[in-house]
Amino acid sequence: MTEAALADQLRLLPDYLGHHLTLTLVALFSGIAVCLPLAILVTRVKPLQWPVLTVASVAQTIPGLALLALMVPLLGRIGFLPAFIALLLYSMLPILRNTVTGILGVAPDILEAAEGLGMTSRQRLFRVELPLAAPVIIAGIRTATVWVVGSATLSTPVGATSLGNYIFSGLQTQNSTAVLVGCAAAAALAIVLDQLIRLGELAVAGRSRTKGWLAGAGLLFILLSTLILQIPTAKGSNVVVVGAKPFTEQYVLAEALAQRLTQAGLRAENRSSMGSMILFDALTAGHVDCYVDYSGTIWANVMKRQDLPPRADLLEQMKNWLQREHQVRVLGALGFENNYGLAVPKHKAEALELASIQDLARHAPHMTIGADFEFFVRPEWKALREAYRLDFREKRTFDPSLMYAAAREGVVDVISAYTTDGRIIEYDLAVLTDPLQALPPYDAVLVLSPAAARRAELVSALKGFDGIIDDGTMRAANKRVDVDGESPARAARFLLEAVGLSSPAKGGEGSDS
Amino acid sequence: MICIQQVSKTFDQGRSFAVQEVDLEVGAGEFLVLLGESGCGKTTLLKMINRLVEPSRGRILVEERDVCRVDPVVLRRGIGYVFQGVGLFPHMTVAENVAVVPRLLNWEPSACRDRVDELLRLTGLSPRTHRDRKPHELSGGQRQRVGLARALAARPRIMLMDEPFGALDPMTRDGLQREFKRLQQTLNLTVVMVTHDMTEALLLADRIAVMKQGVLVGTGSPGQVLRNPSHPYIAALMETPRRQADQVESILRSGGEGK
Repeated sequence: MTEAALADQLRLLPDYLGHHLTLTLVALFSGIAVCLPLAILVTRVKPLQWPVLTVASVAQTIPGLALLALMVPLLGRIGFLPAFIALLLYSMLPILRNTVTGILGVAPDILEAAEGLGMTSRQRLFRVELPLAAPVIIAGIRTATVWVVGSATLSTPVGATSLGNYIFSGLQTQNSTAVLVGCAAAAALAIVLDQLIRLGELAVAGRSRTKGWLAGAGLLFILLSTLILQIPTAKGSNVVVVGAKPFTEQYVLAEALAQRLTQAGLRAENRSSMGSMILFDALTAGHVDCYVDYSGTIWANVMKRQDLPPRADLLEQMKNWLQREHQVRVLGALGFENNYGLAVPKHKAEALELASIQDLARHAPHMTIGADFEFFVRPEWKALREAYRLDFREKRTFDPSLMYAAAREGVVDVISAYTTDGRIIEYDLAVLTDPLQALPPYDAVLVLSPAAARRAELVSALKGFDGIIDDGTMRAANKRVDVDGESPARAARFLLEAVGLSSPAKGGEGSDS
Repeated sequence: MICIQQVSKTFDQGRSFAVQEVDLEVGAGEFLVLLGESGCGKTTLLKMINRLVEPSRGRILVEERDVCRVDPVVLRRGIGYVFQGVGLFPHMTVAENVAVVPRLLNWEPSACRDRVDELLRLTGLSPRTHRDRKPHELSGGQRQRVGLARALAARPRIMLMDEPFGALDPMTRDGLQREFKRLQQTLNLTVVMVTHDMTEALLLADRIAVMKQGVLVGTGSPGQVLRNPSHPYIAALMETPRRQADQVESILRSGGEGK
């Protein structure tokens, strides 16, 4: 099991590492290219020093994930660009500060000697100040390198593939092998880059040809391997980008879509672990071609509707609205619903005689509710609270993957469960009924971007998903990941086979991108 | 060679003067020592000669040209300068330090190399053992020799020296002083040297210019300032070396027993 799991993960490495390296190197080189001249300017024009260093410090104090997430609305894009800009900002402070410190730290008598011997200010900079400041500057670049390699793992949620894909999806699917591989790869990359720069520094300081060649060869190797790793994923016009929100079912479905597209001879690329709204915006902007969303989510969060028509009505209205407002095409409902529901451990439900949310309302003031990061700010929560006059003693937010265990272990009394999650059965939880119908239905729907909807071969490849996955099958596929520890790609193959969509010729290979 | 005319320098818009209305001429091949206590303005005056400091008033001619009207970079490359703290570049080898100005002047690499070896020999260093060392691998005396070699590299006719022997132990200082005096005479260098060491001034100078609180109080040959000081301050300054000489002499006469 562990060996197979590791092999599963390692097959993803070239793609993740290639993207991670590209992002890191481009951000770092740009950081150096921007910061060195800026730092030099700042040492020449003293009044600039304080504002420039302060701005860089402030950028640094913003948590990495927040800085990355901020870039999405600011730039109106997902993927490489916002990740690049955020990492560039992140790399600036150590390079700037060390360069300024290094240059200002050159002893005044040495500067006077340079001037007295007749060096121009430019010659003084290049022959005296920069060489003497070099060790401090390089130390700054090394710090920036380690930071950027580490922070680049956070670019996964904004739609840029990185080693963070391992970590984010691994945490969601409780796949410790994936998390471990991601962390180890990022750490190894940081160490290798750091040591290469050090080697380069030693080579220059000690004027050692051997070390120089070694550092040069190492850097060249990394640049070449980045290029080679990028070739298979180089953007062709026909690559289909499949999006996924950060939870197991989404990973499995995205894999299934990608595998199906691959079978049809298309090239598919997954953008996993993206926030709900980021993903929808990316779809309308055409940065993502397709993904699976839920009718209730779009109804409440995108359309901002509070009324609740019957399930089929809601689906029809949503379809028309998406087409009309965003030219987004709903290719079909997959067949299952993944509803939000309030779940309690069965023994607690029996002891307190809880069957519906109405029953729960009486006990709520003594109870703690746990939910995912989004739930308490979503309109569904407001509707639920108002309909049943729910007033809990305490609200806590969890990573979705940890929420179920929190309920089982009694850390919280109630959780906002997803009804197709395999752990509801596994952990012996009971989902309470919603007699007042405060929560909308969440039919899983396959949505296509305007551009994707115009591609006949793409539409025909994905058409087969219409109405073929029932609740039980989806729950079984989710359980394979969450409880049995399979990779989403494997669970996706199971899912395709179970619904009769896998083609025997290529079914075994799947898609690993 | 150098002509200082009514030169003043203020660092605070005229509230006080570091150098005040100094007139001084230095002839070709002359060894002039600027003598005075710390803070008397002698270093400021020296730095105005190659425009490390700009005069507030008056003018300075070097080889008949007003220093304020020539490119300071060109001016400085033509004048040797030995700094108070030596100021060798720590990231460069001895050879690279010495070759700084020839390189700035775009000499051929082979010419630079030959000149480095020649200068190292001239200043009493062995090119083979010292050429590729870094400044931190040298003794204080050796560093000062490299500083001299660097100042002499582009064959300047004028040397400005700011307490060049100040940080050396007495033995090393004595040796270097004598070697430099000989070098100055051989190369017929015009030298302006700043010191607060009266004995050094007396032993090296052709002429001594004494400064006090920014003002030039008098000039004269070592013999003149010792025997006929033109100003009471000069007499007072010369009291110390005179007394020391007398004591040394009496020790010599008494056969080493006196005090």
